[in-house]
Amino acid sequence: MSLFQRTAAALAALFLLAGPADATTLRYGGATPALTMDPHSTNDFVTAAVNRQIYDSVVGIDDRMELTQGLAVEWTFQAPETWRFKLRPGVKFHDGTPMTAEDVAFSVQRQKVSPLYRALFGTVKDAIRIDDTTVDVISNGPDPILPRKMTKLFVMSKAWSTANNVEKVPDLGAQGTEAYSLRHANGTGPMKLVVHEPGRRTAFARNRDYWAPGAGNVDEAVYTTIGAAPTRVAALLSGELDLISDMPLQDIERVKATPNFKVQQAPQQLYMHIEMDGTRDVALDIFDKAGQPLKANPLKDVRVRRAFAHAIDAKLIVERVMRGHGIVIGTGAAEGFAGYQKDLDVRWPTDIALAKSLLTQAGYPDGFIVQLNCPLERYTNTEEICRATASMLARIGVEVRVKGMVWPEFARMLVNGPNSSFHLIGGSGNSGDLQDAFVSIMATRDRDKGRGGTNWAMWTNAEFDAVVDELVKTVDPARRTELYRKGLTIGRDMVHSIYLHQPVLTWGMKQSVTMAARADSAIMLHTVVMK
Amino acid sequence: MLAFLSARLAHALLVVVVVSLLAFVLGDLIGDPVASILGLEATAADRAALRLRLHLDDPFVVRYLRFISRIMAGDFGVSYGAQRPVADLFAERLPATAELALAALALSLSVGVPLGVYAAVHHRGTAARILMTLSIFGVSLPTFVVGILLIFCFSLGLGWLPSFGRGEVVRVGSWTTGLLTVSGLKSLVMPAIALAIGQIALVARLARAEMLGVLKSDYIRFARARGLKDRAVNFSHALRNTLIPIITVSGIQLGYLVAFAVVVEQVFQWPGMGLLFLQALGQTDLPVISAFLMVAAVLFVAINLIVDLLYAAADPRLRIKSLAVRS
Repeated sequence: MSLFQRTAAALAALFLLAGPADATTLRYGGATPALTMDPHSTNDFVTAAVNRQIYDSVVGIDDRMELTQGLAVEWTFQAPETWRFKLRPGVKFHDGTPMTAEDVAFSVQRQKVSPLYRALFGTVKDAIRIDDTTVDVISNGPDPILPRKMTKLFVMSKAWSTANNVEKVPDLGAQGTEAYSLRHANGTGPMKLVVHEPGRRTAFARNRDYWAPGAGNVDEAVYTTIGAAPTRVAALLSGELDLISDMPLQDIERVKATPNFKVQQAPQQLYMHIEMDGTRDVALDIFDKAGQPLKANPLKDVRVRRAFAHAIDAKLIVERVMRGHGIVIGTGAAEGFAGYQKDLDVRWPTDIALAKSLLTQAGYPDGFIVQLNCPLERYTNTEEICRATASMLARIGVEVRVKGMVWPEFARMLVNGPNSSFHLIGGSGNSGDLQDAFVSIMATRDRDKGRGGTNWAMWTNAEFDAVVDELVKTVDPARRTELYRKGLTIGRDMVHSIYLHQPVLTWGMKQSVTMAARADSAIMLHTVVMK
Repeated sequence: MLAFLSARLAHALLVVVVVSLLAFVLGDLIGDPVASILGLEATAADRAALRLRLHLDDPFVVRYLRFISRIMAGDFGVSYGAQRPVADLFAERLPATAELALAALALSLSVGVPLGVYAAVHHRGTAARILMTLSIFGVSLPTFVVGILLIFCFSLGLGWLPSFGRGEVVRVGSWTTGLLTVSGLKSLVMPAIALAIGQIALVARLARAEMLGVLKSDYIRFARARGLKDRAVNFSHALRNTLIPIITVSGIQLGYLVAFAVVVEQVFQWPGMGLLFLQALGQTDLPVISAFLMVAAVLFVAINLIVDLLYAAADPRLRIKSLAVRS
């Protein structure tokens, strides 16, 4: 061992949690903290990935994002409004009490009223205990994708919640003391919570009584937040951490090239796209070439939308801006979404001459000036993507003014409006099923029907809406596939949005660590092997 | 002295009030807390309900007065992000920042003053010139660059020091300290150096300039004429008189150290107030943002006040003058 390695090993020893000397501890880190241990009070995906270690979901989700047995071993479509879940017997919470149908029904009731889960569980009306191992979940109407939604429904103990005064999801803004469930947990999951120090670390110990003993050998795990990317990479390479998520793109090759380290990737359940105003008669922040406000909305014209789609080279963006770490997409879906259609996923070819002639046909031979609203955080390399877009559109005479915004500012612009006619954003189906993406991102905005909640550029297409209307109540898989295909095709032909790419999640780790790279970013600690 | 004191206090109060207003306005400018908390997918009804619960639609004056009266009563409110009382969060984070800033201050004085004295005494020597040139770099290097360079050398290259965090901490009453464990001390080294390096250079330059001035004065010449040793002249006669401006400046610098700690805490993931503040900014966590700015303002003002008073205590002429005013 070199001096460097010995000192690193000595340091590593210092960092270990107090515990049995031979316990195998995984020390891992990421850019953002686990916000809370209450699984129902946030839908932040990093937090959910951490919570999944402690709390089981009703329906399980495997490493390839397929449904699998979880706390429920079987689910059946009982009646148009009812799904029946048969529960696994003999499961115990970490405090030793048995998990019952009562707890599942309680958890459904608790999570469905959380404002952050309203989009996912808003249509769930009730959950009823039938017997000790059977629960019926009743929706307002038929809900073909309810089982997939249940992969995000985490089960808490009713008795524990009542005893600790957290039967309800902690109310934000309520004065007084801290809710017990924010820093304490009692789940049925593969790991038990040892301590959660917000913003610093979250420590877990293996649940030896877990109903599905994993193949991993990790006894203890500590998750640390390290916001600064260079520090996070240094902490990995110096041996202080075994594994890091959120690898900065520019460091991937370096970590790969370092002996005893490796990199793993998984496509994220997210696609990046640029939305264009589909409703307004006069678009926002749009000008003629003289700089005078343009009294029109060229973005609504499908010829202009096609011109943009043919002018923006997503392949080049992935190659240059994303350094190859992304997958070019051609439809409003991405690999890993339930309902994704691989053969339809062919992107508009980049063709400047065609784009120019389309613009001329639309009546803008000289182009125009438009502001592109660009979130500076949350997604990878957004500012560079926006700048690249600007230079590509410049080739067809459209001058793009990129307006970078910090996330709170960007989010305010959207939810209090939406006040943007042209912006870059990430889209994902809430549950992981394409139906959710159709309903919230692509369907015409309609508050009463609960449609188009995140359709920020207000694209609207009657034919597409009809597809959605049928899809949300169709159970037959073959017919659903037809509808997915029809919806995706309309979206592509009418240029619902300029589809760019699917980002890739990247982890860096020691060669000695084996883990499954999952699209939901969860590191399933009980399956991690450390040599 | 009393008049002096009350004038200073009134001044301090004015500053705090102005900052409180700014802190409040800033909160309104950076984003919409409801959009940040509930994300993009929440329903309009849920948003409206939350706005109501957080009293965000009340008139500005009403919200400001509520904010001030709560703070006067010692209630900083509840963080939107952490869903915990802001006072608890601060109590948790304060020790880390305090230890970091004080360590950096101690470092800057204990290294900066001797360097400055040396440079003054040997002001024609080559070493002193090199030292002064280096100090320019020290003053102008951005803190985060220093931090990252340190991590590259001592964590990545040599593996001597941890690159992040505060190590193991020991709880002493309600205070957590990293000064009592090996890993805690090791963790403190790099952040303290990164934070202190600019200050060391500043203190050294200041000490040198003051010292050069003092060394030329008559009483130093007389001391030398009396045959006192160089060491005695330099340290007990000259240095004591250069200390007054250094005390003033380093007091004010303590405020800057706390402010720059935000950068250092970000680089080293030091779990202090600065890191909390940055997270709060990202989440539009208004209670934390405004409370942090208030605490920082009070801290700055208090430090300035104390420095003024120390100044009076350290300089006999000020004391005598105030005595004269009183009589």
